[in-house]
This record gives sequence, structure tokens and C-alpha cells, in this order.
Amino acid sequence: MNARTAALLAQLAQRPLLCDGATGTQLQGLGLAPGACGELWNTQFPERVRSVHRRYFEAGADLLTTNTFGGTACVLESHGVAGRVHELSYAAARLAREIAGERAWVLGDMGPFGGMLEPLGETPVETVAAAFREQAEALLAGGADAILVETMSDPAEAAVAVRAAKAAGADLVVATFTFQKTTVGYRTMMGTTAAAAVAAALEAGADIVGANCGTDLSLPDYELLTAELVAAADGKPVIVQPNAGSPKLVDGQVSYAESAAEFAESAPRFLAAGARIVGGCCGSTPAHIAAIAARLTST
Amino acid sequence: MAELTELTSAVAAGKRVDTIRITQELLAAGHSPQLIVEQGLVPGMAIVGDQFKRNEIFVPEMLIAARAMKEALKLLEPLLVAAGIKPKYTVIIGTVQGDLHDIGKNLVSMMWRGSGFAVVDLGTNVSPERYLAAAQEHKAHLVGLSALLTTTMPAMKETVRVLKAASLPNLKVVVGGAPITQQFADEIGADGYAADAGTAVELATRLLESAA
Repeated sequence: MNARTAALLAQLAQRPLLCDGATGTQLQGLGLAPGACGELWNTQFPERVRSVHRRYFEAGADLLTTNTFGGTACVLESHGVAGRVHELSYAAARLAREIAGERAWVLGDMGPFGGMLEPLGETPVETVAAAFREQAEALLAGGADAILVETMSDPAEAAVAVRAAKAAGADLVVATFTFQKTTVGYRTMMGTTAAAAVAAALEAGADIVGANCGTDLSLPDYELLTAELVAAADGKPVIVQPNAGSPKLVDGQVSYAESAAEFAESAPRFLAAGARIVGGCCGSTPAHIAAIAARLTST
Repeated sequence: MAELTELTSAVAAGKRVDTIRITQELLAAGHSPQLIVEQGLVPGMAIVGDQFKRNEIFVPEMLIAARAMKEALKLLEPLLVAAGIKPKYTVIIGTVQGDLHDIGKNLVSMMWRGSGFAVVDLGTNVSPERYLAAAQEHKAHLVGLSALLTTTMPAMKETVRVLKAASLPNLKVVVGGAPITQQFADEIGADGYAADAGTAVELATRLLESAA
């Protein structure tokens, strides 16, 4: 294991770590058009991507997430740039690495490939495995300290991505799932429970497991979900990255319900429920992360 | 002899082989393809939609049932076309401009097909003008808009505005997607909101039948 990744794990053993918040909405604030390919900015407007990382770094984030959520060939293909996987993910990891320096770490981000795996869907497992591996290799080459497989619904896809990251040489792989509130508890879109999702990720070799994003999940829901994840994690560290409430459209602009202060209030409760890393997803900003940082240092 | 209710159960349970066999038996016994669709398949998919809405089943079971239905339709559609029978309702569906996500849209599209509607799927990143042109071209009864990104909610609002401004007679516009709520649907003037693909079937059926 490389020294920096080992240092990350050593820190995590000593204190809870703070992850950053949303990237896409930050980039949109800097002019990225909705639905446009944000990964292209890693080479087109590197200073803007760097500025998002810098704001989270200055807010106190220990973990910076690369701007590569849709960076697999499968997703880039929909923007007509499937051939640029390595270039874009490598550049993204370099940008985050530059800001992270020796005080923070870089999570190389890989989101869902965008379709359904065989046999339920039409996409062969081999295609998706190769796409994740290609992206993970680029992220690691660019300086990512760990790979973050995030926003997963299908445990089979998460397992494919975790294995691909390990095969690419990642020493540390984080896997997070997206849950929704149902009448039978917290489930992914595929109906997977927290226990089954965590088990699939661990079986594939994930080192840290958890949840991000979600539908109809309040912060108190996230607290209950955290407890389920911790119970299933078999002693492995748990990460939670909730949304900052549910989005609303106010005067043509999307806004989120939870203020930074409310958001930060819930962080100690996630930790009390057993989480070791907290951060934010949709709607969270550097202000939310700074508020959590302030809350954690005051307790 | 096979019964229509057996076909309904086979589709709802996602039993592809049984669905094909029973459909063939029903045809051989002289049932009209239209009857087989309306009283065999559609009720089967309605059960699926209902179970999905109640969280008794999830996406995998829904996909498997839809696959069984598709196999039956492969047998029935040429016969329906030959007999000149057209679906009662035509609906348009797509993901709004700026949004490339299609899993939710595809589930609704599939369930609407399973309800016996003619579905025109415009894909993703659909401009307001394309929705309108398709609604006019196909004389659609209903348009469904999907969005996953919170940032494309304004595009949904604009699409509803454009469709409503065209004042097409009896055209209903419904919306859905992870960030969408009933409140948002009301604010932007949509005729309805569905939280999931099962509810989308009920919503479309209710709106279409009340307009008819």
C-alpha cells in the first residue's frame, strides 16, 4: 500500500474524516450547462474545477472527490467522447491531487454506468467491468489515493466496479449506495436492503462502505440508515453523504431545504450511529462542509 | 383450455415461457388478439404496477414481467395490425432537455406499453419543441416528462409551458422523476405527477379516461 493511502487509514482509525460535498452543482454555479458533460471541464477549464476542490479543502474537507462521476466510457459515449476516458479522469485526479497536497486525500470518483446489467438489462458485465477498470486506472495514475464507487443501486454493478478498481491496483476502495424510503424500509431502486448492498460490496473487496444521495430520505432517515449500514459493515468503516434536503424550484432556481447549520447538526448523530466519514451529496456546498467541520471540532 | 386469467398470472409473475404458451393456446382457441391484450396482458401488468407501487416488488421483478409481456406482444401485434386494430390512446414520453438519464423514463414507457397504450419514446435530452412536434404529429393524448437531475427541473417547467401554450385539445401533461414532487407538478401547471412507474399507469389511465 502506498504511504499516503496508509496515512489515510491511520487517520481514519484516530478520528472521523470529513468528505466534500456536491461537485456538479458547484460547477453549474461556475457556468456548466445543465446536462452538459462536466468531465470535459477537467481539461477545458481546469482552474474552475480546481476552485471547487479548493473551496471544499478550505472548508475543512479531508477527502476531495474527483470530477469524474460520469467518466466511464459508457457515460461519456452519450456525449460523444467515449475515447477520452483516460485523459479526462487522469486530469481530474491531478487537479484534486494538486489541491489536496499533504493535508487531504483524493477519492477517484466512479458513478453508475447508466444502464442495466445483464441478465436484467442489455449490457454485458464484461463491457461494464472493462469500462470501470479503464477509469480506475486513469484515476490512480493521476494520483487518486482511493477509488470511490458511488450512487449505486444494483449490488451486482457495485461489485463489478469494486472488483475493477481493485484489479486496476487500488489499495483502498469505498462503495456507496443510494437508498429510498419504502414501506419495507430503506431499499435501493433494485429493492436491495442496506445489509444486502453492504454484503455485496464487501464480498467484492470494498474497504469502506456506505450511502450517498437518496430519494425521500430526511436527515433523521439517514441516521437510521447509518445504523443499518454499520450493523452490516462487519467492522469496516462506514461513510454517509446525504443530500441537503429535497430540492425545490424557487424563482426558476433549484434550492435545497436544509441550511448548512441544520445539515451540520446531524453530523454528530451520524457519528454516534457509527459512521466514520461524513460528507454531502446533492445540494451540499462548501458552506455545509465548513459547518460540519466547525461542529466536529467543537465537540 | 387456457384461460385469460392464467395469462394474467403468468405475466404478473414474469413467467416468459408460460406467457408465450398460454398466448398461443388462447389464439388457437379462437380468442381475439385484442381480447387477449385487454383482458390477459394488461391486467397482468396492472398487478405488477400495483405491487411495485406498494414496494412488494422492485425494478428487477418489473423488468422480468415486462419481458414476458413483450414476448406475448410479439405474437399478438402482427395480428392486431393485420386486423386494423389500433391502441385507444397514444402517449409521448421523454427525458427533458439537458438530462440524459433514461432508466426511470424507460420503466414508465414499458409500463404504459403494458397498459395497451401506443407509446412514442423520444429518448433523452428532448427539447420542448420536440415534445410539441411529436404530440402534434402523433395526435397524442398525453405527454410524460421525466427528469433525474435537479438542475433540469426548470427545463421541465418550460416544456409544460410550451405544451400548454399550444392548447392542443385534451392533451394531458404528466411529470415524474426522483427530484419531482406533487407540489412542483402543481406549481408548473402539469396535469399530474406520479412517484413511480406503477402510479404512472394509474395516473395516465385516470386522466385519459376522464378526458375521453
